[in-house]
Formats: sequence, structure tokens, C-alpha cells
Amino acid sequence: MTRTSDSASLNQWYVIGSLADYPAGTTRSTRLLGADLDVKSLGKGNITITERGPVGPRPLPVDLRYDHVWTTLGTPARDIFDMPEWHEADRRPVPCGAIRVRASGLRVVENFLDLAHFPYVHTDVLGTESRPEVARYAVEHRVDVDEIWATKCEFFQPRAAISADAGQISQYIYRVVSPFNVMLYKTPPTAPDRWDLIALFVQPVEPDVSIAHPFMMLIDDLSTTTDLVAFQQMIFIQDRIVLENQRPLLLPLQPGSETPTRGDLSSVLYRRWLKQKGIAFGVEAPAHLADA
Amino acid sequence: MDESTLGWYPIALSTAVPPGTTRAVLLAGREVMIWRDNDGAAHVWQDRCPHRGMRLSLGFVRGNSLNCLYHGWEYGAASSCVRIPAHPDLEVPSTIHATAFAMLEASGLIWVSLDATPEAPPELDLHAVPLISVAVETSAQSLANGIFDIRLDSFAAPIGDTDTDTEIEALRAGRLFAVSAGAETLLLALHPVHAGKTMLHALLHAPDVADAELAARRRHYAAIARHLRWSVENGRPVAPLAASPTEARL
Repeated sequence: MTRTSDSASLNQWYVIGSLADYPAGTTRSTRLLGADLDVKSLGKGNITITERGPVGPRPLPVDLRYDHVWTTLGTPARDIFDMPEWHEADRRPVPCGAIRVRASGLRVVENFLDLAHFPYVHTDVLGTESRPEVARYAVEHRVDVDEIWATKCEFFQPRAAISADAGQISQYIYRVVSPFNVMLYKTPPTAPDRWDLIALFVQPVEPDVSIAHPFMMLIDDLSTTTDLVAFQQMIFIQDRIVLENQRPLLLPLQPGSETPTRGDLSSVLYRRWLKQKGIAFGVEAPAHLADA
Repeated sequence: MDESTLGWYPIALSTAVPPGTTRAVLLAGREVMIWRDNDGAAHVWQDRCPHRGMRLSLGFVRGNSLNCLYHGWEYGAASSCVRIPAHPDLEVPSTIHATAFAMLEASGLIWVSLDATPEAPPELDLHAVPLISVAVETSAQSLANGIFDIRLDSFAAPIGDTDTDTEIEALRAGRLFAVSAGAETLLLALHPVHAGKTMLHALLHAPDVADAELAARRRHYAAIARHLRWSVENGRPVAPLAASPTEARL
């Protein structure tokens, strides 16, 4: 596999793991957009990333923002997104590991934006069949920061988070900061006036293989890290059952191949935005859709 | 694989899909699914929900509807989407439906035609008892060739008649064979999964055999089906089985 030629995807920042995934004194390999990378961790925040290029090793930029390892294979137009909550004193950062998925990273992001699946995929946790309605919400493309935002989202949740001991109507805000990076803000059960943040940094490995790096920033000083991570991983593994069984595995961008409804507004805008950017990696080529 | 998907194909034994269940099937490289409603009718659809492409074979049956696992979209037996849970007040447009294929259930087998304009379905009215489905790692053509080599000297072994001639008839070219010796007939239905794999669905037509004796027949003919698989996969001639089922090579 060689690195993709899709410049729209190349010119973005990507997470290839949390800092904990690259302990001091180790060299690890990974793959991003078809390119093979060697990551050397020398300790004290000193990490180098080299691409095994066709004419020899090529050093890549490194950014360790939010305790994650970020890199790019191109020249992104924008810096890594802003997350002011990172500086809050009572914020609890919880990296949740790396989970490999046989699906396009774009499908992974789109699933993260979806509310209507809560009663069916996360039954009796994030949703219940007796309350399946997705009420109207607002979606916009914020041109100044070039991000997609969905606001005023609401959903009844029997068990919104591990610290929840009763059902609640959760408020959600979704924020797609780049084609493969998405986050949400939701009501913490223990602090209804604040927001919990759950991010999904997606590392596209091949068009139909991704690594998801869930990362949470929570207002929760009761639960153990183990329990928090286990809860989030359970949710993600449930989503993976769907992601690996969508056909095609890649995201179809042409109209008519799939059927959005009113509740899918955020995914409609997301796909339109991807099309405008010319993203090709992880996108289903039109000719392949002739017949399933 | 377009030409190879023309016509009617056997894709499962009826017993493989009990009421209220779904089953994913790969036919000539295409993903289809079978589901049986609680009234007992089987349906064969494309294994893909039109909403976001989720495989319907992972869905669940309630009453006579199939529900997609992803968002719970409900499809009636006629393949129209009748309910979208996220929008309970929405009257679902008739344009939203699963893709249903022409199907036939007869003689213990489920058949499908993927063609846009299907030809006449097979006429089958044998009372056949489903035996076993065996995955054979070879092309349907190789398997069909192997079937013509079957000599079932011990075909009617449970009755003790070891010198019966074997008659092999192609009931449906390349797809359904009747292997007969005396009054018993082994039906072999071939279902191409992909170029290197074929499902062999075996059934028994034995009108003179009492139900109580069918169990022994089942084991015997299942062994024959497995023996056929072994022979074809290993490029060996389909040698006669030993008189006793326990000596049969599996």
C-alpha cells in the first residue's frame, strides 16, 4: 500500500495515538492514509515521526496538543482545532485507547453524529425503543472556522454516562472540526450546567480501515478511569458492529445511493462539506455503486 | 459476474431459516439475505438497508416485519418501509423500500432469481427431507462434474441392497441433480458462493421410508455429501462408499 494521492486528505492534521501509546524509549510503526510511519519517542515530549517514503525517509511535523500525537502528510490550511476546555482545572482527560475498524473513517465520523441509532445500537444505555424520536435540531457550516456544528440536539437516555443513576434528556452539541475528527458536548449527569466533551479522532489507515482514538474530557470525579474507559469502549464496540456491516464500507457521496431523513441533517451537511473539499480517501467511487 | 447470476439459484435448505429469523447468503459474490416472517413465509432481499447501507441480515424479525439493526426501520413483508422510529408521525414515502428478489420455496429448498425480469421458476413438487448443507471449496462446475462420478453402491445400504445401479439426472442444469438408486433419491442443489466455493444443499426423497427410519438415512446421506466434498476438493475420484456408514470416509 502506498500513500494516497488525495491532496484534500493529505493536507489535514491527524491523531496517530495518545501520548501514552508512544512511551519513552520506543519506536513504533503505524500507517496513515496508506503511508507507513515510524514514530520514535525519546522521552520528555520529544517525538519524531518519519514517513517511509518512496525515495527515502521523510520527517513529518509533530504536534502534541491535548496529550495526543498529531501529524500531517501535507500542508494543512488550518491549525489543529481549538478546545478551550482543555485548560479547565476540574476537567478530567480520559484517553480511551485505539480501536481498529474495518470501515472508512468517514463512516466512523458520520456514525458519531447520528442520534437515531441510540435505542437500537446502544439499547437501554444511550436510548430506549419507547423514546426513539429525534426532534428537529439546527446544523450549520461555520465558515470562519470551517467546521460543521449541530446544536439543540436532544435525546432521552436511560443511562447517559457511567455516573448516571437515572434517565435524563441529554442535550448534545456536535462539532466536526475536520473531515476525520469530530467531537460532541453533552450534559454531564452530575453537573447539568456544564458540558462533558467526547472526541473521536479518526486515523484513516486505508480507504476501508481506520483506527478510532476516543478521547473524553469529563466533569466526573467519582468514577474510576477504568470504568470510564470501559463504558466508552463498550459504546464504540457496539458501533463497530454497524460500521463493519455497512455496504459499501466506503462512504457514498452521490445523491440517491442512500436515503437521509430529517434526523440525518448533520450527515447531509457533513457529506456536502466533504464533497466541497474534494475528499476522496474513504469515499466510494461512483462506478462501484452500480449494483450491490 | 453478471452472466453467472442469470436464472434461478438454490440458496438454502428451508430448515436453515426458521420463522422469525434472518440468514445472510453470498450468491455469486453478491450479498443477499433470507428472512422468514412469523406466518412462515420466506423472503429474499438484497442485504442492504436503503437508509445507510446496513446489512439487513443483522436485523430482527417481529411479527411479519423485518427491522434494521441500525435505526430500527421497519419493513413489511412486501418490502416497503412502514415505520421510521426516529420520526413516529412520518408517513413513510412508498419510494423507501428494501430490494426484494423473485423467490420460490419448494421441495425443501429456497430459490432466488436476481434477474430484473426473472424467467419461469423451477417446477418442483417432490417431497424432500432436508439433510445437510456442505461448503465445498471448489467451483460449481467442478462440483457438478464430481456429481456425475458418484457411484453409490451402498446407496440403499440401510435396506441391505448393495448392488443397485446409480442414476444421475440433472433436473436443472448445473444446479439441481437427482442421484437415484432404487426408490430413494438424493437431491443435490448447487449454490455458487464465489468462484472458488460452492454450497452443496442435500435433500432426500424417500417416499417409501417411514419417518422413524429417516434418522439413519440422514446420517448415511450426510456422509455421502461429505464424501463428495472431500473427493472434489482433493481432485480424487468419487469412490464408492463402504457398505457400512461408519466406514464411510467423511
